[in-house]
Amino acid sequence: MTGPGSERRKLLSRVATFTLAVGLWSAPVPSGLTSQAWHLFAIFAAAIFSVIVAAFPLLTAAMLAAAAAVLTGTIMPAKAFAGFANGSVLLVVVAFLVARGVVKSGLGRRISLLVVSAFGRSTLGLAYSVFLTDAAIAPAFPSNTARSGVLFPIVLSLAEGAGSMPQDANTRRLGGYLMFCGMASLAVSSALWLTATSVNPIGVEIAEQFGLKINFGTWLIAASVPALAVVLLLPLVLYRLFPPGVSATPHAPAAAREALRSMGPLTRDEKVVAVAFVLMVTGWVMAGTLKVDLTAVAFAGFGALLATSVLTLDDITQEGGTLATYLWLAVLFAMSGQLNELGFMGYVGGRLSSALEGTPWPAAYVALVVLYVLMHYLFVSQSSQVLALLGVFVEVGVRTGVPPPLIIFALLFASSYFSTITPQGGSQNVIFVGSGYLSQGELYRLGALTTGFCLVVFLVLGTPWLLLVVR
Amino acid sequence: MTAAALSWLLLPLVLATACSRPGPGPDGAPAPGETRTFEGTWSASGTRHTLHLERGHQASIFTLTGSLLLTGQRGLGVGFQGEVIGMSDSLTGGVGRCVWTDERGDKVFSELRGEPIGTGSHVVGTITGGTGRYAGVTGEYELRWQYVIESDEETISGRAIGLKGRVTAPPAPAPAR
Repeated sequence: MTGPGSERRKLLSRVATFTLAVGLWSAPVPSGLTSQAWHLFAIFAAAIFSVIVAAFPLLTAAMLAAAAAVLTGTIMPAKAFAGFANGSVLLVVVAFLVARGVVKSGLGRRISLLVVSAFGRSTLGLAYSVFLTDAAIAPAFPSNTARSGVLFPIVLSLAEGAGSMPQDANTRRLGGYLMFCGMASLAVSSALWLTATSVNPIGVEIAEQFGLKINFGTWLIAASVPALAVVLLLPLVLYRLFPPGVSATPHAPAAAREALRSMGPLTRDEKVVAVAFVLMVTGWVMAGTLKVDLTAVAFAGFGALLATSVLTLDDITQEGGTLATYLWLAVLFAMSGQLNELGFMGYVGGRLSSALEGTPWPAAYVALVVLYVLMHYLFVSQSSQVLALLGVFVEVGVRTGVPPPLIIFALLFASSYFSTITPQGGSQNVIFVGSGYLSQGELYRLGALTTGFCLVVFLVLGTPWLLLVVR
Repeated sequence: MTAAALSWLLLPLVLATACSRPGPGPDGAPAPGETRTFEGTWSASGTRHTLHLERGHQASIFTLTGSLLLTGQRGLGVGFQGEVIGMSDSLTGGVGRCVWTDERGDKVFSELRGEPIGTGSHVVGTITGGTGRYAGVTGEYELRWQYVIESDEETISGRAIGLKGRVTAPPAPAPAR
């Protein structure tokens, strides 16, 4: 929508962004931080703010922020551009391209028809199928980014199969709803299983330093009630927050079965993609045991699809959206990492959490979890936040009298479910964000509301449950 | 305005407030000839490159940077950005050189020695001088790595607790005759 009103709003948003950047930059450097860290925060905060208030798209904001950070001498070019060689960033990009191969070959459509034939009587049914599928496969995938590479082609095929296209204002909401369900399901399934994301074992290692030993079983028991409650409720909540436009599709299962029959047997391309995909999934699942690199596995699969002409160079040249995703993700990833390296995250976390010392433990407990979740607005990596802040927050919690298992588990679960708070809050989000079904404003709004919902469920249901089972 | 936009308008305010609140008492560098004690924590991340030698013997070089937060009634300041570069040997221990930088850009230099870097290791530091308001300071401190975790290949993060020590400012120069 364009017009004098929207142009004026955009101009105001840009002025507000610039004012925020200059204001923070010029403010006195807080005692205990370096000017370098403070100035980088000013740039980073203004970049994210500009996206939220729709002053700039994420790509524009990231490019301007990277340029500002380097040209002002705030960070070295090598540090600012380090994200372009980061394995997780590359994994997202390659998984994106592989997903395109799954859709192009027709295998994605076949899988989506199978899903629709079983769950397709309503859009809500499809959403539950996404959540349940992810929850079921999650314990075998130690990387939720890799898991997003499996889930995304299915969700994309479901959306396209239902006639939902990102460019079409009339149909895109169905795809947008399913895409956000994909993101949200990855966040919740990662909280449910210890082995569903590489972040959890890091947290468990830190928890051990506070005397709490956590294994697969204790984690599952502790997470089960709040996480399963979220799995049960979140598709409905999102359905209310972002109505998909299409609700009941009673004839869809029969139509899907008919379409499956008319598709006939697997084509050559579908067989190639199926084999490549199964090998990639096996590689991702076994990555820890076989000591293979997740990104290299994705490169192998992508290379196989190119070598067998399932994907062609023409297909790749049309993936401009992937390039845009790569650029903004790499820049924000590096910038957030630098904020951490320069001590900003540890400083803010330490100051905020230590301000709670002396408050009654129930209040301190809630405040620590809420602050920990809000701090994720500044992080582009879940593991970075766990490494930088988990120990700090647990220590303050324990000092204020919160039972150690309670604060540890609460923060560990938050480290997964807060990933949807921003589009860049977890690398597993990015592939869904890049689909184009949801605007930046919608992503931030749904992200904040979804994270808030999870926070409430984990506090209200999870707290008494944890006090009961992990004393 | 969306809830997210509102929360983002508030977040910088919260952060700025939290950051600019005066600390619990420390008021910067000690006066000439004065000795002060300090204590705190240090959260840091960085890289470690390990060379595997004979069986059970490893040597590594590492760099760590992060936020060093100090507490106490009369410390050295609210905190610093701490940066260390070091070498660690699983048989002979570790050595390092450390720079703490405050919000004015003034620095404190120290030398580290102790156990090989890792969870639970104990390290002792000798403050050898500084710049700006810390010029000429001397002192010592110790810390223990509560945990050191290797998250990705060659990427490490850690948290040091029990950081405590003392620092002495050089005496005031004698007045010129």
